[in-house]
Amino acid sequence: MAEPRVTQLTGVHAVSALGRGAEAQIAGVLAGVPAFGAVRRFDTAARRVTVAATLPEVGTLADELAAAIEAACRAAGLAGAQRDQCGLLLAVHGGPAPGAGPTPGALAGQLAAACGLSGHTRVYTSACVSASTAVADAAALIARGDVDRVVVAAGYLVEPDQFALFDAGRALAVDGAVRPFSAHRRGLLLGDGVAAVVLESGDGRRGVEPLATVVGWGRAGDAFHPCQPDPTGTGLARAVDAALRRAALPPQAVGYVNANATGTPQSDAAEAAALRRALGAHAARVPVSSTKSVHGHALEASGLLELVVTALALRHGELPVNAGWLAPDEACPLDVITDHPRPATTTHALTLNSAFGGANTALLVGAP
Amino acid sequence: MTASGIGGSSTVCPDEPDTAPVAAGSPGQGTRVVAEARWPEAGDDGPAPGVPGFVSSQFAPVVVAAAERCLGRGYGIAGVPAGLRTAIVLVSASGDRTSAEHVRATVEAGGRIGPLFFFQSVPNSVAGHLAARWGLRGPVVCLSPTGDPYAEGTAEADLLRYDGDADEVLLILIEQAPDASTEAVAVLLGGEGRP
Repeated sequence: MAEPRVTQLTGVHAVSALGRGAEAQIAGVLAGVPAFGAVRRFDTAARRVTVAATLPEVGTLADELAAAIEAACRAAGLAGAQRDQCGLLLAVHGGPAPGAGPTPGALAGQLAAACGLSGHTRVYTSACVSASTAVADAAALIARGDVDRVVVAAGYLVEPDQFALFDAGRALAVDGAVRPFSAHRRGLLLGDGVAAVVLESGDGRRGVEPLATVVGWGRAGDAFHPCQPDPTGTGLARAVDAALRRAALPPQAVGYVNANATGTPQSDAAEAAALRRALGAHAARVPVSSTKSVHGHALEASGLLELVVTALALRHGELPVNAGWLAPDEACPLDVITDHPRPATTTHALTLNSAFGGANTALLVGAP
Repeated sequence: MTASGIGGSSTVCPDEPDTAPVAAGSPGQGTRVVAEARWPEAGDDGPAPGVPGFVSSQFAPVVVAAAERCLGRGYGIAGVPAGLRTAIVLVSASGDRTSAEHVRATVEAGGRIGPLFFFQSVPNSVAGHLAARWGLRGPVVCLSPTGDPYAEGTAEADLLRYDGDADEVLLILIEQAPDASTEAVAVLLGGEGRP
């Protein structure tokens, strides 16, 4: 049986309240200064919480996605002919589009046409694991030999409907800060996020130097509750197990975890339990942070924004800060990176995501 | 287009798109239909039974009605065999249109939304309800179709089974049209080995 094909990350682009471009993201998460501020994009007078991490100037989601896909393709050196037969996997919020905007399916078609991607399209609407599931599927399609190259794009721009829903669900942090794994954490805050990445089979035919490789991936369900995470972390741990198994690596190979941790009390504790279950004693030693503490929760796009940040952190050689830290929580016995970035001494990092429905994903990123 | 391969016409059929879906087609080689069900079927009069925690919309009740009927036919009263990982792939262009439109109208009017609408704001939630009741421990994947919903759903199911994160897949197709009753199709896909 032939060796599975390696999936390389050859071009990335991302936009968040930290700025425009991939370099702005890594600079922002290493600076560790949260980007949250008063929402001016729409009226929040009727809401309990009125802050989010938003760009001061932003286009429509369709325009931002098109620009991100184009930038990622350029970064990967994809000329017109190389975009032929290149698929597009898109992660966005599902259902009826606001105003006169296109439906998700139509949006995917428009973006593919605008960017010269003539391969197949698929749209993921799996809430906060949409983008990470798309990356896992892209890697699986490449590994199976279905395709040589896939663009994964994802976007969420803070808007009034989801903001109102999260506010109504009392999910937003009333103290205006995201404090993952910390004592006294109060919840999450939303943030803009638009990202695109080019994933290619690592056969070296194009001679492009990759930024990183996706060496493992896993998806698993909690089978626990419609909205609450399994406090034992069993589902997320099985996703991590699957990622390590695909990479044929032991838990000790993981040198950094960009956690899903949203700053929500029960979710962060469940994730800590998952890490203990999957990594054993190594869970207490591996450096962990959640970059949502700086750029906010980009919902359907969070997995892709965090993949870009994780890959660039490995490349840059510094691990991002977990902002908002107040004090340890005994329910989260992890080595959380507080105060300052740490030197990266690792070649492998996990980026984790979880969502309503007990959906979990793990992506294992390798330095090239 | 219909929910091809499972008989009958359905409203779970958006217009044909500009681009082709990934790996469109019937279930892959090695994948078989273990069970299938619909809501409504003959004898189903009135709305689908309510689902605790879900309000105002028929989206979740119809998903649950079709899915539980399918799971019951596939797994029987014994339920999911120990060790089997069943994924859920939910395909819907409309999503929960009723809830989304209520939220939009309420926000536009400057009002406050009931907290239960937060919990049903994504299709993952009803998938999680089914997963918890039936012990479905595989991945939860929701798609908005860019082409034939059944072909896209079966392609995703094949990939999850081939890739090894799922042994079987509960595929659910559901659409809410503005002027029609909510309908759903559920298909349990399995088979020996990797597709």
